[in-house]
Amino acid sequence: MTRTIELMSPAGSYESLMAAIKAGCNSVYFGIEQLNMRARSSNNFTLEDLKHIANIGRENQVKTYLTLNTILYDHDISLMKRIVDEAKTCGITAIIASDHAVMNYAKKIGMEIHVSTQSNVSNIDTVEFYANYADVAVLARELSLKQVADISKEIKRRNIIGPSGKLIELEIFAHGALCMAVSGKCYLSLHSHFASANRGACIQNCRRSYIVTDKEEGIEFEVDNEFIMSAKDLCTIDFIDKILDAGVKVLKIEGRGRSVDYVHTVTNCYNAAINSYLEDTYTKEKTELWKTQLATVFNRGFWDGYYLGRKMGEWCDENGSKSSKRKIYLAKGIHYFDKANVGEFKCESHSLSLGDEIMISGPTTGYLELTISELRVNGQAIEKVVKGQSFTIHTPERIRPSDKLYKLVPEAS
Amino acid sequence: MIRIIQQRVKCIGCNACVEAADYRWRISTKDGKCTLVGGIEKRGFFSVIVNHHELNDNLKAAQNCPVNIIKIHEF
Repeated sequence: MTRTIELMSPAGSYESLMAAIKAGCNSVYFGIEQLNMRARSSNNFTLEDLKHIANIGRENQVKTYLTLNTILYDHDISLMKRIVDEAKTCGITAIIASDHAVMNYAKKIGMEIHVSTQSNVSNIDTVEFYANYADVAVLARELSLKQVADISKEIKRRNIIGPSGKLIELEIFAHGALCMAVSGKCYLSLHSHFASANRGACIQNCRRSYIVTDKEEGIEFEVDNEFIMSAKDLCTIDFIDKILDAGVKVLKIEGRGRSVDYVHTVTNCYNAAINSYLEDTYTKEKTELWKTQLATVFNRGFWDGYYLGRKMGEWCDENGSKSSKRKIYLAKGIHYFDKANVGEFKCESHSLSLGDEIMISGPTTGYLELTISELRVNGQAIEKVVKGQSFTIHTPERIRPSDKLYKLVPEAS
Repeated sequence: MIRIIQQRVKCIGCNACVEAADYRWRISTKDGKCTLVGGIEKRGFFSVIVNHHELNDNLKAAQNCPVNIIKIHEF
């Protein structure tokens, strides 16, 4: 059954795509070739992958959105058109665009469009303008929930409909990294390293620590304790009821450059939160549990973004992730014994013992998390396997030779 | 002489190399990535040997490349 709220997950790889689907997303977004905002950081798909992705989406009743939202130059136009044409032919659900050239062309060929957050949609008249092209508008991350609710009400009052003939739907970012610049329009990386964030090449130098120099005497002050340009990660799971009450229909999770365990965990938590909201069982106790789960994967510490009307952003106090767990590569998949539901792996590093928490990921398997209750080598039950040994474990579903097995261990604090 | 090497598959088509040495770099209208003029491909890397007078422009192209896929070797 289709639910009224859509959860959109990032797919930077086939592993993440399958993990997001398993975790209960309603749609995925992904980039191909170089014209997307993760041209540098994620292993982007190519034109040849479009058909396969669209098929996976159809088989799993998951919508597929192609991001084509960088700044475009004249020399990009022919590639852009080829990408939009191919997306239409393959049956991709919609294009996420910010450049008007993309919107114009996609509209001409009858391809559904969503306005990217890069377009900084911040008011109802802009929504009305884009309604000529798009059916979904991703609102600017800097809006407060009151502003979002006002826009939502006004869409209904003015009856602002998109090319599909339906009311424009509102989408916002619900979770993930936040750029320090307004709607991601940052030039820091371009200034310092010629790497334009607006072409998907951001080197994230805002995430570093800095020294301030007194120009008169050359005295240097380290900006201590806070990474003053590195915003904490957005997390809305403890006020998702307010977001949905404001009329938002699509919740997007940031993270096409993130790992498969991140995509699975975050999608899983937000899926549960949306279902709880719809079933009227959303409680504070649940949100605390979800937040603990979210903290196990990559994060820079959490804050509410601008939705609740904070005057100042919240900044990180250290570089890198604060995740409470990390993963260690152990083994690769060898074979799956269908009848017995047993997977065979070869241990390539470290060791694995009974009671260990593991994750298995792969391009078709997606993501699987287990606790080891039984380990066998050559049919004999043992307590520990070490590097070089082949072993079998019970897995609730098929594993494949393309799968990798990791041990999940608590991050040393 | 200098050898210019490009790992083309990773190009994001930003045009920075063309701005530095437009006689040596050209954006392909086919796939939007930059083509090393005269380059010969071997295992995904394109390379060309050119006269030393192209050094400065192409060093700039290499420096400006946001994804660091251009290398210059002098010999």
